[in-house]
Amino acid sequence: MGRTHVDAVIVGAGWAGSIMAKELTEAGLSVIMLERGPERTTPVEGAYPESIDELRGAVRKRLFQNLSQSTVTIRNTMDQTALPYRQLAAFLPGEGVGGAGLHWSGVHFRVAPEDLRLRSSVIERYGEKFIPDGMNLQDYGVTYEELEPFFDKAEKVFGTSGEAYKVQGKIVGNGNIFSPDRSDNFPLPAMKDTFSASIFRDAAKNAGYHPYALPAANASRQYTNPYGCQMGPCNFCGYCSGYDCYLYSKASPNVNILPALRQNPGFTLVPNAHVLRIDLDSAKTKATGVTYLDTKSRKEMSLSADLVILGAFQFNNVHLMLVSGIGKPYDPVSNTGTVGRNFVYQTITSSRVWLPSSTYTNQFVGAGGSGVAIDDFNSMNFDHGPLGFVGGSPVWVNQAGVKPIAAAIGAGGGGTPRWGSAYKNALINTYKHSLGIDAHGSNMAYRDVYLDLDPTWKDVYGQPLLRMTFTWKDNDIRMNQYVVSRIEPIARAMGATKMNLVHLNAGQPFDTRNYQTTHLGGGAIMGDNPQTSALNRYLQSWDVSNVFVIGSNAFPQGMGYNPTGVVAALAYWAAHHIRTTYLKSPGPLVKA
Amino acid sequence: MEPTLNRPLRRSFVKGLLGTTSFWMASGNASWTAALAAEAAHPYQPTFFDAMEYRFVEAASERLFPADDNGPGAKALGVAEFIDRQMQTPYARGENWYMSGPFQQGPANLGYQLPFVPRDLYRNGIAGVEHYTRQHYGKGFADLSPVQQDEILTALEGGSVQLGEVPGRVFFEQLRTNTLEGAFADPLYGGNRGLGGWIMLGFPGARADFMDWVNQEGAPYPLAPVSISGESA
Amino acid sequence: MKWPLFIACFLGMALTAEATAQDSDKAVVEKGRYLAAASDCAACHSVHGKPEYSGGVSFFLPMGKIYSTNITPDPDHGIGRYTEAQFEQALRQGIRRDGSTLYPAMPFPSYARLTDNDIHALFVYFRDGVEAVPVSAPKNEIPWPLSMRWPLTFWRWAFAPTPHKAITSTAGEFTDPLLERGAYLVEGPAHCGACHSPRAITMQEKALTAHDGSLYLAGGAPVDGWTPPSLRQENRTGLGRWSEEDIVSFLKTGRSNTGSVFGSMTSAILHGTQKLTDNDLHAIAHYLKSLPSADRTQTPWTYDTTITDQLHKADLSSRGARIYVDRCAACHRTDGKGYPAVFPALAGNPVMMQSDAMSLVHIVQKGASLPAMTAAPSSITMPAFSHKLTDQQIADVVTFIRHAWGNNASSVSAEDVRQFSRTMPPPDMADDAVSLN
Repeated sequence: MGRTHVDAVIVGAGWAGSIMAKELTEAGLSVIMLERGPERTTPVEGAYPESIDELRGAVRKRLFQNLSQSTVTIRNTMDQTALPYRQLAAFLPGEGVGGAGLHWSGVHFRVAPEDLRLRSSVIERYGEKFIPDGMNLQDYGVTYEELEPFFDKAEKVFGTSGEAYKVQGKIVGNGNIFSPDRSDNFPLPAMKDTFSASIFRDAAKNAGYHPYALPAANASRQYTNPYGCQMGPCNFCGYCSGYDCYLYSKASPNVNILPALRQNPGFTLVPNAHVLRIDLDSAKTKATGVTYLDTKSRKEMSLSADLVILGAFQFNNVHLMLVSGIGKPYDPVSNTGTVGRNFVYQTITSSRVWLPSSTYTNQFVGAGGSGVAIDDFNSMNFDHGPLGFVGGSPVWVNQAGVKPIAAAIGAGGGGTPRWGSAYKNALINTYKHSLGIDAHGSNMAYRDVYLDLDPTWKDVYGQPLLRMTFTWKDNDIRMNQYVVSRIEPIARAMGATKMNLVHLNAGQPFDTRNYQTTHLGGGAIMGDNPQTSALNRYLQSWDVSNVFVIGSNAFPQGMGYNPTGVVAALAYWAAHHIRTTYLKSPGPLVKA
Repeated sequence: MEPTLNRPLRRSFVKGLLGTTSFWMASGNASWTAALAAEAAHPYQPTFFDAMEYRFVEAASERLFPADDNGPGAKALGVAEFIDRQMQTPYARGENWYMSGPFQQGPANLGYQLPFVPRDLYRNGIAGVEHYTRQHYGKGFADLSPVQQDEILTALEGGSVQLGEVPGRVFFEQLRTNTLEGAFADPLYGGNRGLGGWIMLGFPGARADFMDWVNQEGAPYPLAPVSISGESA
Repeated sequence: MKWPLFIACFLGMALTAEATAQDSDKAVVEKGRYLAAASDCAACHSVHGKPEYSGGVSFFLPMGKIYSTNITPDPDHGIGRYTEAQFEQALRQGIRRDGSTLYPAMPFPSYARLTDNDIHALFVYFRDGVEAVPVSAPKNEIPWPLSMRWPLTFWRWAFAPTPHKAITSTAGEFTDPLLERGAYLVEGPAHCGACHSPRAITMQEKALTAHDGSLYLAGGAPVDGWTPPSLRQENRTGLGRWSEEDIVSFLKTGRSNTGSVFGSMTSAILHGTQKLTDNDLHAIAHYLKSLPSADRTQTPWTYDTTITDQLHKADLSSRGARIYVDRCAACHRTDGKGYPAVFPALAGNPVMMQSDAMSLVHIVQKGASLPAMTAAPSSITMPAFSHKLTDQQIADVVTFIRHAWGNNASSVSAEDVRQFSRTMPPPDMADDAVSLN
């Protein structure tokens, strides 16, 4: 008595939550979506020109998680004391309606098919002994062919711009030759190349590599998606990553899904609702609803629901599972349990190339998803045999719009002045005449890299913080060094007068102070074995069958590609099986 | 009446109203242009720093970002004013940082673990530097020669100076970061006067439209910058 | 940048009158609901956030402020005591149940054309399909002697057509049933002319139907700070370059390849035309396209690249060019072509070329929002610039837009902008009256 009942409650109003909400309301379910942060709409958050403000945006981080309420603790190794992540730096989780889907840059990949079955693939090619000790290499339990219709659907919803290589077995364009077959082309043509991307394209091609336009959820033209939601065309203003898009050009839940969803009377969005736990029955095999705090009134509220979808950010999903008692927590010592296992990241380094002072790179021109990449050193596209590591990196020029404060703070160092007149000279020269090339690489999972609850520090709600145990491992450091070494000849061919090739060094620990990427993954992974995965291949909890956990938490390894495309496809995949199978007969979709 | 023109405008920075109608209306001006003109008509009076501290910030930021052949330095760009204004924002009170104890120190790569928010870092840091310079040079920082000032800043950056409870290096990084923000943030926040920072870099500011200039084949972008309020150079 | 058609309403029918003559009550209620919603009765009789049709919408007239009435079936505060005959008299002749005359803000001169069947459906709907709400609308604020209603009776005798005349004078005018249907909707229930036709000094519309000549829908006097443009076939300032498909899309979604809605028309589409069937929307578009230009002197608009070329070369020497590039071009582009159905074109847009720049100035000052429509859920918003630009800057940029790309319309001065500020439109969609996304 007293608890509001809905068919489904969804935690988090980002891509995963919004896709699930759309699908479940289409299936006729009543849905409440709870979002920890505030409401966000384009006319307010994205007002022009007020939102074109680097200080308020990316620097003071208006769209990001407020760490004063909740954060994580981090350590490199199990013998250290983890310390709180007190200031946003290495990674930037979002907060508010749209979640990370509002502040993301827009690179919208599918997946390298072999990344979905990386363990099998490595063993087939190099034998099981190729896998280093302590590396928890695993398959997703789902194939590219199974996911293809959902990649296609997500691209049409996102209004993704790109150039295909192969559609229904036929070569149709100048796209990525390593990319798998597609059922349909991209809904929009590829973004234009910026100057820096265009010279990278030429140089990479001349070096014998296979450049392609990054698939971008920044609209190259005005677009109306299957939900009737409209996008304006991207004008390369450069305010993607860290911002909402004033031009309605960057795909976000706010622009591409919520306008349609908000018209559905079966859908309710509750902002400022911090979910404290998923309520379980006494046997801990069924969720009965959720308990959340209304952060405005500070009142604890509770909802009863038949189905609970966790669609919060990767580590928040894992945190909620741990504090709610869903599944067995991972223990690295005994190597048992699944929740917290296979916590992964990405191995990303950015190098810089200077061109002659007569050449202007206009780095402020850009779009988060625009650029030119090569996949020649990604996934299983090259021979790892003589190299002796697993994984790889796409290499790209992704000029997303470099803004002055970020450029200034990052300039200098590595033996060059960080202040004074010489610094000013170098800053101006670098800003006007240089460009960046990234190695955006995979990161493998290891037995002693994981998530659990911190014994000491608590969030403002009195719950223990999530603890990350993470550092760089030899396999990934060597992968990064190899790929970065391949950049040099390309940079030379681009006419570099100077270059600064940045790579990880042997033994270098993970540093929380510098931004690397927000592409965290794993911790509640999908798979075909309940002993080594928290979720089955439909992202359903093995242990609590009316809980589905959608997000990059499901990735067994960190892949070279940006994760959003896979997250969206997995959300549509899970939703499809909920709609076609689960709702008819609720219960485990896979026998444990 | 007149002095009140300034105060609401400044207070609205505090409240984070910038960019909202309330921000502009709070100042009692009809348009952004009028609000800015009213603001510029009065010399800035710091509200967080005292006179000595403000002189320190002006002097130290000018050494970090000096006037030279490239263009204006921190002083001409209004960096000290920018930092003082920032001290009235949630950022300076550490309201978005996790500031719960215990505060335990660890390896540098695990990040900031001090119990101090930016306002504390400035209060303690400036007092510490002033104490240090008086001890070693017999004068306050702002009264030293540029060469001496650079010596001190180099020592702070290198980590060889402890400022009471604040490591010199932490204070240095705080000051460097805020100085560069002040040089390149939108002029609404008090720095980057006359869009001087942006002009030096060739950054076009708040226009946010490059549709016709996506690929200039190596030529510079042709238009001068514009600010959020419409100030152009 | 946008393109209003009219303040108020469209009325339409899903089926022909004969086919529904003996329908069940439920079907009649639904037909009435379609007619009332499509007629946009709500635009004048419903206030956002209050019960539907309970009145209270204010109208500023030269003689004072009046409020729309409660038209729910409440017997004491609404129209619950009206018989069908009294209801018919109010709608078609402007005569209240007590025999006094309605202010002609109620478009009874247009409603005179309503068929008996449609009147019946509306009556049944307002009796059985609307919830009775026991609240009274605020009292009108018109000082005596202007508050006396009896002179209105003379106005009505002099200017309002009798239902008989309204129906017979247009009978058999069109042989094409689509045109006939369109004419019925536009001239009758939809009363497009209430805003889009010029009025005489005595306030009556100078033409009530196409039959009355080329002043019909030739553009009206400002309403709520917006100047209703011509809906006839003038090449520059009318619908001459709009296709039927553009008009249909505009009325269904508030946006089309040729323009987007703003101002008072936004509510007419939100509450009204978006609910019409595609057949009825096509009938309206077909009919509007049949109205010849009222201004034979207009030279056809052709795109002129001079300004575009200048801006591409970073030449900002034209008056207002810098402001345009700094504040407008991000969405509307340096070539003025915008992005169809998202950010409207300014080049060749009739609203930019109206002799009266009031609408254009007010859009720049106030901004505008497309609310979420059923068939187009995205709410796209242009921000307000009244506090970001001075009167002089607004005058300069509006002049730039009116001169550029072949628009060749007259200049606007800072004094004009100051004058227009006095007629700043009341709150609308852009002011949180509906939720945005």
